[in-house]
Amino acid sequence: MRRELLYSTLALAVLALAVIPIGIAVFVLGFVYGDSPCVMCWEQRIGMALVALVGLFVLRYGPKPKYIGLAVLIAIWGVFMGIRHTGMHAARDVGQGFSVEILGAHTYTWALLIYWVSVAMMGLLLLMTRKEDIEDRPRPLGLLGGLAGTVFLVVIAGNVVQAFASTGPPPFMGQSDPVRFSFSPKHWVWSLDEWSPAPISLRGRWAIDKPSLAALPAGPGGPIAEAPVLPVARELRLGFPLSGIPTDLAYDPATSQFLVTTEHGVYLADETLAKLNRHTIVDAGFAVDLGRFAGAAFLDKGAVLAVGENKSFVVLEPGDKADADANFRFFLESFDTFNEGPRSRFGTVRARMMYVMSAAYDSESKSIYTVTVPNNKVKRLIISRFDRNDMTLSEEFAPALAKDAGLTLAGKRTLNDYYVTGATIAAGRMYAISAAFNTLLTIDLQTRSVTAARAIPGLARPVGIAAKGDELYILGESGKVWVVGQ
Amino acid sequence: MEFLNLVVIFVTAYLVLRKPHKERLAFGLLVFSVLFMVFLFSVATRTGLLPGVNY
Repeated sequence: MRRELLYSTLALAVLALAVIPIGIAVFVLGFVYGDSPCVMCWEQRIGMALVALVGLFVLRYGPKPKYIGLAVLIAIWGVFMGIRHTGMHAARDVGQGFSVEILGAHTYTWALLIYWVSVAMMGLLLLMTRKEDIEDRPRPLGLLGGLAGTVFLVVIAGNVVQAFASTGPPPFMGQSDPVRFSFSPKHWVWSLDEWSPAPISLRGRWAIDKPSLAALPAGPGGPIAEAPVLPVARELRLGFPLSGIPTDLAYDPATSQFLVTTEHGVYLADETLAKLNRHTIVDAGFAVDLGRFAGAAFLDKGAVLAVGENKSFVVLEPGDKADADANFRFFLESFDTFNEGPRSRFGTVRARMMYVMSAAYDSESKSIYTVTVPNNKVKRLIISRFDRNDMTLSEEFAPALAKDAGLTLAGKRTLNDYYVTGATIAAGRMYAISAAFNTLLTIDLQTRSVTAARAIPGLARPVGIAAKGDELYILGESGKVWVVGQ
Repeated sequence: MEFLNLVVIFVTAYLVLRKPHKERLAFGLLVFSVLFMVFLFSVATRTGLLPGVNY
């Protein structure tokens, strides 16, 4: 009785697997509606067929460990294929995806559920299996087993037909973007594209290097031809010690204070940069991964913003009566000098695959700006604007050269060669300092264009810039500050 | 290539159903099909073998 239940359950499972995902996919979606699987869908479908095929093996030869083991391996691989395929589209806007939906979910996402159920089903069957069920000779399939086997053969035959029309005989292979299925050979497209040489990578386009100033060209030779020179008016040094190297600089005329950040440190200094007023070290663990602070800005009412390279951010509010015990969870040092506001992430579109090394705040438009740095995969200069109220992306653009600025690009160079490590806003203009070619860019935020580019000789790894009065303070990685006119 | 693998799967199922005494051959074909599937999926995703999501 138990054994009959075991084999009947398995036969029904094979039947369900053959009919519902594989059979409907080929006979209804394929032959009726013209849906063609992409190359990954094909392998997901074949994996399901192989799980069902192992089911037939068990129906015929009993639940031998090698069959159950292989079925688990196939299903685990199927779960991986489902994640790999779904991952390509998982972050798109609601409703977007690839090919057709079934009950509100795209086909490839169903594979995750089907393989997961397959693994669960095998666990269940193993629980029901006894030692005496393992047989030495083939067993009769019975009515249900025979039906499952016959249906499986028919479904696979249908898939053989569809695969021949859609992918062709070897060495032709499935396609990333298949054409609509047709029984007419005139419409068949057999492709060898998947065999084309391509680099092998684990993370693919997500394998993006973190920002680094190590190999940047610091001298002349920037993309803007013959950028005029802006001389340094004077130099000074930070008059207080930091925990780590500085990463950005900002100035607040309302409180006459400078803001300096390090990897996770936030320092408020007086207007001469000689005296430290307060500081804290933010605990970057156990919550939003803030990355390495790379951008700093004063927001409204004295609040300060620290933005990580990964565009995660934290807002801190200076407070003389901050509750040290309540702040234990947020900081590693100086628990009673700041209160923590929101800690979250800026989301971008054009800048999505790039890190940033700057942040600036425009009090007129109540907007926060970041500027991308190029990386090993994406080389674009993108300026993103976020609304202060909801800290959400409001605008993104790639600045162009202003037509009336008299600027020209050298040869086939582009503005993407710059590496903006600091930005500040004054009178509606963004001043962005590029550590590559030590160039100060002036960007009109209304016309979204670069109106001036000036080379500043003598800078060494600038990481931040702040506007104070008519002057710009440029902070270097060494703690040196260069002051230039606007 | 998918066509070839599906033909192998069809032949394997036929052996199991109609020529059950050829168990070793059928199992060999089954293992070949599994490895072939893994190989083809890996070829198709070789530019990003891991799921393409934020790491």
